[in-house]
Amino acid sequence: MTLPLVQINNLSLRYGNFVALDDISIDFMPGTCVVICGPSGSGKSSLLRCVNRLEDFGTGDVIFDGQSLKSAHNISKIRSNIGMVFQHFELYPHLSVMNNITLAPRYVNGINRDEAEAKAHKLLERVGILDQANKYPDELSGGQQQRAAIARALALEPKLMLFDEPTSALDPEMISEVLQVMRDLARNGMTMLVVTHEMGFARDVADEVVFMDKGKVIERNASGNFFDNPQSDRAKEFIDRVLQKI
Amino acid sequence: MDFSVINDNIEFLMLGLMRSFQLAIFTIVLSLTIACFIAIGRVSSKRSIRYPSAIFVNLLRSNPLILIVFWFFFLVPLITGKTLPEFHTVLIAFVVFFAAYFAEIVRSGIQSVGSSQVKAALSTGLTYSQSMRLIVLPQALRNMLPALVTECVIVFQGTTIAYVIGMREFLHSTSLVAERTVRPVELYLFAALVYLVICFTGTRLALFLEKNKELAR
Ligand SMILES: Nc1ncnc2c1ncn2[C@@H]1O[C@H](COP(=O)(O)OP(=O)(O)OP(=O)(O)O)[C@@H](O)[C@H]1O
Ligand SMILES: [Mg+2]
Repeated sequence: MTLPLVQINNLSLRYGNFVALDDISIDFMPGTCVVICGPSGSGKSSLLRCVNRLEDFGTGDVIFDGQSLKSAHNISKIRSNIGMVFQHFELYPHLSVMNNITLAPRYVNGINRDEAEAKAHKLLERVGILDQANKYPDELSGGQQQRAAIARALALEPKLMLFDEPTSALDPEMISEVLQVMRDLARNGMTMLVVTHEMGFARDVADEVVFMDKGKVIERNASGNFFDNPQSDRAKEFIDRVLQKI
Repeated sequence: MDFSVINDNIEFLMLGLMRSFQLAIFTIVLSLTIACFIAIGRVSSKRSIRYPSAIFVNLLRSNPLILIVFWFFFLVPLITGKTLPEFHTVLIAFVVFFAAYFAEIVRSGIQSVGSSQVKAALSTGLTYSQSMRLIVLPQALRNMLPALVTECVIVFQGTTIAYVIGMREFLHSTSLVAERTVRPVELYLFAALVYLVICFTGTRLALFLEKNKELAR
């Protein structure tokens, strides 16, 4: 029997008096790609940030790969096993693409520079921007920046990848190049939690869809079922609204 | 007007100028280093770190430099029972005083970088202090370079305060020569010119950096 890679138990998160996550319990199995969707403000980003404890949650716990995050003393070590990709890329503007990618392997894992660069080379090839290695982030297009950010997140060979609206800040013609990279990752068995409004990606690539609203998980469904036969009214409304826009 | 007095005493005057530069450079290096730590304390999420840093900064910024110098000049011997050389006394006072000002510049520099860069760095497994050192501070320094250069000019002008406890910085040397030769007009004109050139250069440099922020990588 395989154990879940991520196990979220009775997780709640408040910002002041505002309840952003309300008693969430959910598991994610290794090797699956799960899309998390829901209206704005429903807590999707907050949930992702709890999975690597960028957000200090109040009650409940997240168990990653058998380790409790709440009581973890080596949270940096755990985070190095979880890659994260942001809406606005968050590449380091003062470092070249190559140095963006090699920084964490060198400082977190203590790998020497040559080895780290050889590895970065392979990753850049994989995301299709090897020719941009020595440029600075502001010299790249949005799509190239996001692919560089994915390469940076992959550099520590994480067991889990978190994507928070990775294509929302991109011009339409660049969305597909980023989705293609994510699709390849999923095919190769990476465990992925993806917050996105790209319903095509959810339907074609994701194994499951989780629908959130007001800090709660409303529905979890196999991705085909979610679109054809949503269980909850709120999910139905949401799907109608999102699909209309397209 | 007879400007030959300057030429006649140039060595003595330059010695004073060197002393001023020395004080300014030591002050800048030491206080900026301390300022980085205080600034990080100022943005800390822990109150036990944030409050003392805030108190330090606000206390020193609400006192004139000359008072801080007097404090160290009169109090250090009282407390330690020893008198320090003038240069050391002044240097300590300057470092403490300007650390507070530099800390505010560094703090606004840090805040200009934004917390999402820290989140990105933390998410790759870097520790908080690594994130600060490798990601936030280099970007912050670039953003605050113009303000830093301007503050360095102020430090240089501030070195004249060392006069009050008898240190022979440039202004003091100038006044000694002026008294001895009875040529105050020529000498103080010369001093004004020297300060003007140095501070004008610094101010222009700050303006240039401000306009060409993206040049500095
Ligand atoms: N740092 C914060 N301080 C206070 N409130 C916050 C903070 N971060 C998020 N919130 C609030 O928590 C709620 C959930 O935010 P979250 O960003 O997780 O939503 P989301 O589902 O990702 O929304 P979006 O689709 O707009 O990105 C929102 O109402 C938001 O205003
Ligand atoms: Mg969000």
